[in-house]
Amino acid sequence: MAGSQSSLREANRALVVDAVKRHGGLTQVELTGATGLSPATVSTIVKELLAGGMVEVRPAVRSGRRAHLVTLAHRVGLVAGVVVGYRQMRVAIADVTHEVVGEQTLPLPADHRPDTSLDRAALLVVDLLERVGVDLDELLAIGLGLPAPVDASSGLISVRGVLRGWDGVPIAQVLEKRLSRPVFVENDANLGALAESTVGAARDYHNSLYVRASHGVGAGVVIGGRLHRGLGGAAGEIGHVQVDPAGRICACGSRGCLDTVVGIPALLEPLRTSHGNLTLRDLVSLANDDDPGCREIVSDAGTVVGAVVANIATVMSPEVVVVGGELAETGETFLGPVREAVRRRTLLNQPTPLEVVPAELGTRAELMGAIVLALQSTDVFESAEDGTQKGSL
Amino acid sequence: MTPGRTPLLALRQISKSFGAVEALVGVDLEVHGHQVVALVGDNGAGKSTLAKVIAGVLQPDSGLIELDGAPVTIPSASAATRMGVASVFQDLALCENLDVTANVFLGQEVRGRLGMLHDGEMETETRALLRHLTVRIPSVRTPLRNLSGGQRQAVAIARTLIGNPRIVVLDEPTAALSVAQTAEVLTHIERLRELGLGVILISHNLNDVRAVSDRIEVLRHGRNNGSFPGDASHEAILAAITGAGSPSL
Repeated sequence: MAGSQSSLREANRALVVDAVKRHGGLTQVELTGATGLSPATVSTIVKELLAGGMVEVRPAVRSGRRAHLVTLAHRVGLVAGVVVGYRQMRVAIADVTHEVVGEQTLPLPADHRPDTSLDRAALLVVDLLERVGVDLDELLAIGLGLPAPVDASSGLISVRGVLRGWDGVPIAQVLEKRLSRPVFVENDANLGALAESTVGAARDYHNSLYVRASHGVGAGVVIGGRLHRGLGGAAGEIGHVQVDPAGRICACGSRGCLDTVVGIPALLEPLRTSHGNLTLRDLVSLANDDDPGCREIVSDAGTVVGAVVANIATVMSPEVVVVGGELAETGETFLGPVREAVRRRTLLNQPTPLEVVPAELGTRAELMGAIVLALQSTDVFESAEDGTQKGSL
Repeated sequence: MTPGRTPLLALRQISKSFGAVEALVGVDLEVHGHQVVALVGDNGAGKSTLAKVIAGVLQPDSGLIELDGAPVTIPSASAATRMGVASVFQDLALCENLDVTANVFLGQEVRGRLGMLHDGEMETETRALLRHLTVRIPSVRTPLRNLSGGQRQAVAIARTLIGNPRIVVLDEPTAALSVAQTAEVLTHIERLRELGLGVILISHNLNDVRAVSDRIEVLRHGRNNGSFPGDASHEAILAAITGAGSPSL
């Protein structure tokens, strides 16, 4: 770290900001411990950051004593993003600039119940807010993502059987009742599309297709810069495109859906004898460690998904295809075959080849999408002026 | 990650009685590397007794313990540690007045040639461990009394990783924790599994157990009463715990 005094101060300042970001809110004493800087340096830097409007100091209670928490300055208010998946739930609190100030992941059991999971989601939101030293009143809205198509008008899951046990549950209302904040529910792939087209890889394009390859496969369609939800929010449900007319019956009731071929249970089954009991994350990390069996499974899945994506792309003619979800974390192992399948279609390569790119936000795309949804659904600046929150439900 | 043919730890026909109380009767258990095996059961089903047998605290009356396929006896808790079996019991056994580093290295302090403590080295190591487990504790110099329940559990789990164990036994790690703290502890358990360790998770909470386990072993009245895959239904496991629909006896 050879350099001038000012570059050293710059580096120390970055240390402090990083620590505050990582922990949400810290006292100055805790900041000393977290950064390894002297109390005097921390104090000076916090004063500078305060003057620059980078951080705020909020009164809070720590270990039963009054303390002052240093937190990132969140102008105007905060929103929460919640994404409930098949085996985990992710919750994040962000400010109006999409800056995440607190985040938590909770592993979930298979076939988790809506009452338990929504209850835990509410508790996690409250806990995260507490961690950054903010009251529930300052929360403008909550965006909630689910691995099933959601009807925007009723807030219900519109296709029965896709998410076991969640049919007919008024999801938004349940969470609204718990937190008394407006809640907006959306399909997770749609949220990924929203995030990638707003702040991610597709932000410079008007028409894009976002493909999410996770426990199941889904897609989000963005046309003219807007998310195309379709009837009952079911647009882009490519997991239920038929790929094997003689295949298995899917959870939705149809035969040979894409999900029955490349959904996680289908992908892990052939590995059971050779690799034992794997999870989605095991599959991804083994594929990245060059395990031949896992690479084979992932790239074959890429070929199947790619063929479906090529057909969808032929219909909607997007400018870019963004691929997200855990399987995309294997990089070209999954993306290569998808791109290959797209390259094979003449129409998609004229006048210029259709680009297939990884999600810029990675596996956080859906969580960011939930935040973007919450922000878009509330009038942030109006509520800042009159000091009350308002969600246009 | 590929489960070897020989399990990391195997208990075969373990029995243990306290006077007239049969705590364990012919219990079998196998744990592979990179696997979370949950032990569930009612109060007094023998979960904690089994954990204590594995941790070397109790000696079984009969039965065989195998590590990597070789029969062993675990005569004491420190012998268990040497064999690569680390345990976190419900009371955590942490010191309130010591800081995080001191607790992590308690009893296993790193000393120099003159017997002086290597504080710096231990602090660096502790920071690395906590980062490894993705633990959110601002400072390793914080005294334990200032930490939350979830953070304490994290410190206790981090402590087990000193000395590179291969098996970690966790007794009720999520009892009395808030949802956010539970989330953190469950994430740590996933990390332990990803590090290639065999984890034995004892818990009452079927939600937590089913969230992270590869296999769920049910104990009832000191006997094995069913083995389930991690994604088995709540009802099936509950039936085995309570003995509903159990044809035995």
